[in-house]
Amino acid sequence: MTADLSRLLNALGLIAIDTVLVVAFADQLWFRDLPCPLCILQRLGFIAAGFGVALNLIFGPRPSHYGLTILGAVAGGLVSLLQILVNIAHGSSYGNAIFGLHLYSRALIMFTLIVVGCAIMLQFDRQFAPAEPLPARMTVLPVSAVALLAALALGNVISTLAICGMGLCPETPSGYLILNDNLNLTLLGKAP
Amino acid sequence: MMSLPFLLFACGLAAAWTSRREAAMGFWVAGVLMLLVLFRFHATDVLNLGL
Repeated sequence: MTADLSRLLNALGLIAIDTVLVVAFADQLWFRDLPCPLCILQRLGFIAAGFGVALNLIFGPRPSHYGLTILGAVAGGLVSLLQILVNIAHGSSYGNAIFGLHLYSRALIMFTLIVVGCAIMLQFDRQFAPAEPLPARMTVLPVSAVALLAALALGNVISTLAICGMGLCPETPSGYLILNDNLNLTLLGKAP
Repeated sequence: MMSLPFLLFACGLAAAWTSRREAAMGFWVAGVLMLLVLFRFHATDVLNLGL
C-alpha cells in the first residue's frame, strides 16, 4: 500500500468518524436528545481516535499515529461498554434508539471497527516510507475531514458548556443549564 | 469542566495544523487523561455481575 492510498483510506476513515459525531449532534439538536455524561465521554473517545487519523493526514502515516487512534478508541469503547452493562443490569436505556440500536451500542461497534481498521492498516509497511512534505500535497478530502473534526471539537466545547456549565454534567440532563440557570431563558432541551 | 478535553483536542488539532507535532501529541495526552479522570467521576453505578 502506497502512502497516497493510505492517506486516502485515512481520509475516508476520518470522514466516517466525523459522520458519527455529526449524527450525535443532529440527534441532540433535532430530536432534543441531550447527551448524558457517558455519551459526552464517548464523543471525546471519537475525537481522540480521529485525532490520530488527522495526524496521519497532516504529517503522513506513522505507527505512533495509529497508536493514538487505537488508544482513543479503546478509551471510548470502555465508556460505551460500561454504559451498555449499566443499562443491562438496570433493565433501562438512555436516549433514542436509531434503527433499533441505541447510540452507545452503535458507538461500541464503531470503536471496535476503528481498532480493527487500524490493525489492518498497520500490516502495510510501505505506507511508512519517507515521503515528501505533506501540507502542499493535501487535497480537498483530507483538508475537509480534518477541518470538520476541529469544528466538531469546538462545537462540542460550546454544547457541553451549555449543557453542563463549568462543573460536572448532571446524570440525566433535562435542559441547557447555562441557559436555564444563568440567563433564565426558555428551555431548548427536553422539558423537565 | 467537561468541555475542557474537547478544547484540548481542538488546540491539539490547531497545533498539528501549524506543524507542531509534539505539541499536538501533548494536547492529545492531556485530553485523554482528562477523559479518564472524568470517566472515574461519572462511572458511579455498581454492577452486580457474576463474572
